[in-house]
Amino acid sequence: MTAAPDPAHRAPRLELVGGGVERRGRWLLRNVDLVIEPAMLTSVVGPNGAGKSTLLKLLSGAWRLTEGRALLGGFDLARLPRRQAARRVAYVPQSVRPSFEFSVREFVTLGRYPHENRLFGTRSADRGWIDRCLDDTDVLGLSERRVTTLSGGELQRVLMARCLATEAEVLLLDEPTSNLDLAHGLDLLGLARGLVDEGRSVVLVLHDLNAAARFADRVAVLDGGALVAEGPPAEVLEPDLVRRVFQVEAVPLSGAASTVFDFEPLA
Amino acid sequence: MRIVPGVRRVGFWWYMAAGAVLLVTFAAIGLYRGSVPLDLADVLAVLASRLLPGEYGPVDPQVETIVWSLRAPRVVVAAMVGGCLALAGAQMQGLFRNPLASPGIVGTSTGAAVGAVFALTFGLAGAFLLAAPLFAVGGALLSLLVVTRIATRDGYTPVTTLLLAGVALNALLGAVNSWLIARSWEQYEAARQIAFWMMGGVADRSWEHVAMLLPGLVIGCVVAAWFARDLDLLLEGEEVAASLGVDIERAKRAVLWSAALLTGSAVAVSGVVGFVGLVVPHLVRLLLGPVHRRLLPAAFLTGAWFVVGADLLARTLAAPKEVHLGVVTAFVGAPFFLYLLVRHESEVAVSR
Repeated sequence: MTAAPDPAHRAPRLELVGGGVERRGRWLLRNVDLVIEPAMLTSVVGPNGAGKSTLLKLLSGAWRLTEGRALLGGFDLARLPRRQAARRVAYVPQSVRPSFEFSVREFVTLGRYPHENRLFGTRSADRGWIDRCLDDTDVLGLSERRVTTLSGGELQRVLMARCLATEAEVLLLDEPTSNLDLAHGLDLLGLARGLVDEGRSVVLVLHDLNAAARFADRVAVLDGGALVAEGPPAEVLEPDLVRRVFQVEAVPLSGAASTVFDFEPLA
Repeated sequence: MRIVPGVRRVGFWWYMAAGAVLLVTFAAIGLYRGSVPLDLADVLAVLASRLLPGEYGPVDPQVETIVWSLRAPRVVVAAMVGGCLALAGAQMQGLFRNPLASPGIVGTSTGAAVGAVFALTFGLAGAFLLAAPLFAVGGALLSLLVVTRIATRDGYTPVTTLLLAGVALNALLGAVNSWLIARSWEQYEAARQIAFWMMGGVADRSWEHVAMLLPGLVIGCVVAAWFARDLDLLLEGEEVAASLGVDIERAKRAVLWSAALLTGSAVAVSGVVGFVGLVVPHLVRLLLGPVHRRLLPAAFLTGAWFVVGADLLARTLAAPKEVHLGVVTAFVGAPFFLYLLVRHESEVAVSR
């Protein structure tokens, strides 16, 4: 990853203090105290319906909290103007088929919104930056394609390019590897790792606990709308917790450099 | 060159240049042709004396009246109405992420029609010229106010609720309209005027009507332009738009109110001209793509030449009698729309 126009990617601290959100009378998340430290790769794991996507929406500021606060660099995210917040925190939703025929370049340029002039849009400096984002995610060759014609893997990388286009220092990615084949999945995790090494913070929702353990600096485990554990993967991901939260037996494989699990159904 | 799947796009400036040529051509024919045959030189003399500085020989006062006071305002009103409706339609289709949305989808055009019919049946329109147009704009804005009030909870207005409330209000206002018309059945003049309003048309429009339409058009266009980019992001869903920096509630309100003002102003001077606001933006999106910074001005220009052209047909098809403009736009627009529907079935059917 080449440097952004502003080379100092000093990511701000992003935190939830007693965060909770209620929708239609149901608490999707409650009492979450979580700090996303600067320049860390945090992986969010948990079974389906645990509140992983909700957590990302709260951290991005796209959803308002019902109780508690989200703080970006110490400031209340809800009070920050949206444009200003969007320059610092970017969010990639679980990939949804786009239904409108943007070209890939137009689609990625949507990420420039917080930097654009309202009437005249992007300048040539913006266009150079878009090229770089397309290149870094290996989709420069697709730039004139319609987003409606992309494969799942291509779309995921285009979404990643749009996220980079914002120049945000905190990136929130919801299951970025779910539509990717092994090689592109590893590429994406490597790209995320590189961004973190430059000083950005990255939060990933992952289903693959082994990938979470291998790539992440911190792991946050959600279950039933509550944060049940948070810390370095080696401490957090141990067989007892995996059995309790995921309802599977985790068998550590010997011979690997770090802990790698084999998963089996509960007896 | 690589083959790009999907529909090939047309260059924006080429499209705008072609549109400008069509608009000027249709407008010129509109000034020249009509129930009274005129000499081309006389028409040009009138235009020159009105638009250019200096003296241009003797101008026949009768020709001047026909060209400058009867035909010119009619052409200008047609262009403005077409532009307003197509622009508002493009905004609504973007906001609702649905290419089947029309400018009056939230009840604004029916509301405007009720306002105008109300003013006509209660004799207010006879009292002063501006009554019907003012009531029409008021009706459009009031309808939107009601719909947004119903659909808003805790400062949040979900577009699906807005859409459903709009459908319900449209049905209710349609009934009110029928009732108002039924009770004015014996008054021939009022009934005739109401029929005009319901079918839409730009016959007998004057420069006063141009002046009435202008403020709504200008304010609507400025607000639409200011929030054009927000519509691009809203196409991707509200959560993504918000995370990329759009103040979504503010953007939604701005788009809704500017579209209501454009629609209400158009209905105020020309009645309910159907299909322009539905077909034109859809066609332009197919040709130019969904980026609203291009889509909105292109839709405005296309709507303008489309309605000027349709009005030309309206008064020449069955000359010397006139066909209602709304009938022509529906006759041209509906089959064309069906053609698009069959040809690009998947795109039209998709709505998240």
